[in-house]
Amino acid sequence: MVANTHEQEFETQELLINMGPQHPSTHGVFRMVLGVDGEVVTDVVPHIGYMHRGAEKLCETMDFRQGVGYMDRTEYLANFNAELSYVLAVEKLAGIEVPERAQWVRMILCELNRLSSHFMFTGAFGTDVGVFGTAFVYSFREREVLLDLFEEITGDRLMYAYFRPGGLAWEVPDNFESRVHEVLLSAERGIRDMDGLLTQNEIFLARTKGVGAISAADAIDWGMSGPSLRASGVPLDLRRDDPYLYYPQVKFDVITGEAGDVFDRYHVRLKEMRESVRIIEQCMERLADGPILPERLPRMLRTPPGEIYERTEAPRGEYGIYLVSQGGNRPYRLKIRSACLSNLQALRDMTIGHYVADAVVILGSIDIVLCEVDR
Amino acid sequence: MTTEDGAAAPDGASVADAARDYLAGTIWAQVDEALSGITATPVTDEAERSVIDLIVRVPPREVVAALRALRNPEGMNFDYLRSLTAVDLEEEGVDVVYHLYSVETKHNVTIKSRLPVDRLVVDSATAVWRAANWYEREVGEMFGVRFDGHPDPRNLLLPEEMTDFFPLRKSHPLAEIEVLQGEGIAYEEGEL
Repeated sequence: MVANTHEQEFETQELLINMGPQHPSTHGVFRMVLGVDGEVVTDVVPHIGYMHRGAEKLCETMDFRQGVGYMDRTEYLANFNAELSYVLAVEKLAGIEVPERAQWVRMILCELNRLSSHFMFTGAFGTDVGVFGTAFVYSFREREVLLDLFEEITGDRLMYAYFRPGGLAWEVPDNFESRVHEVLLSAERGIRDMDGLLTQNEIFLARTKGVGAISAADAIDWGMSGPSLRASGVPLDLRRDDPYLYYPQVKFDVITGEAGDVFDRYHVRLKEMRESVRIIEQCMERLADGPILPERLPRMLRTPPGEIYERTEAPRGEYGIYLVSQGGNRPYRLKIRSACLSNLQALRDMTIGHYVADAVVILGSIDIVLCEVDR
Repeated sequence: MTTEDGAAAPDGASVADAARDYLAGTIWAQVDEALSGITATPVTDEAERSVIDLIVRVPPREVVAALRALRNPEGMNFDYLRSLTAVDLEEEGVDVVYHLYSVETKHNVTIKSRLPVDRLVVDSATAVWRAANWYEREVGEMFGVRFDGHPDPRNLLLPEEMTDFFPLRKSHPLAEIEVLQGEGIAYEEGEL
């Protein structure tokens, strides 16, 4: 909350400020109307839906293999994680056994994707805070190295469509292992650089400590998830609490914050990146040769009637796929549970009472992807 | 309570046995206790149940009471609303689906309520979890379900004035395919 300042001695008039939808600090096409009293925010009304393309409806018209591409177009900064939720849902519903190698490769790619997504966050967030064009360039240097690897594997920088119900689209390149080790070295350097540039930086601390705090109880009530929830001290990580893939077989820590403020949301993400590196190193040790698709996979995949709510821990939180099948080769209903939508709902609570300049920092700290919010 | 169709089927006894075996492996006993006084029926039919979670059906009038009972920190403590959505079953009505989670006990449960086509109304769960706010707005605009007592029932993703059609209903067609004709854009005849 804002301390008692001399500004409050003057009478000010309440004013509505429109921010977005075309605004560089809204990380996409997002609009919010801020009510301000002087420099202090008194009300926030978010407007979303500018990127709504009806992905759920479209998925109802496509067979299970085609749906993978649509997942990429919702969560475009963590595509592997989004694809994973979808293929796991289809596999569990259809009762497909996935070969071990495919699962380990998926795990490695999802954690690498978490790194690239968090690098995007540190870069963009540094810019939100105001003075660190440097952080942006350093982050993107590391992110680009990761994207190069993804391109070598999948053929595309962003829209991978690499996971399939049952396994992977094709085998990874021969030099996969050496390339992952190279990329990890550069990622570790990047994490160190970010730590040095931001974590101890006086100006950064002044802009982020104690800003936009939300309590654990409120965060749960709003349905927040991922690093934004863990920053408030709730140790909820689906990789540990609702395990999928081979996460029970690797060691990693669930990082939590204490204050639930902007700084903690940043710091949890940064520490989480080190855990991702740890997970990938363990996966690389376990990765063995083997098939990447089950031997018997029907040309046209059908599932028995039934339903599933599959959830995975994406970089921004719980990415859920609610899949209802009435038999046949396409979903009867597919709902995408967006982590950012729930996190964004809590924005109003976090922002009211802070300065206008902090509104941008608070929005940046929940790391939204508007395509995922609007679907 | 076990299955409703158990007695009618020729192998009624084995169906009832299978249902009992299935429920024994779930948290139904605890949920049943938490929902005492509310008409709650677990879904045991293999074609309807979820692969991983327990589904419980509750009539529309008692949904919010059931959710509140499950949210109770003294009881099951389902404090986290994962998702709230709906499924259009055409002439059978619309299912409103609540996915609940307990951060403390890590239990999952799905609550479903069938709304009849001529009365797509249910009480709002915003007083139970604030998270329900945007989810209900989305279900409202996409399926035409009215949530009584919702503090802000405007459209969420669709333009605010578009209140007369519901895109996620099965009766709503996809947009027609655009074909280029000369310099202008025309629409192909018929629906996709």
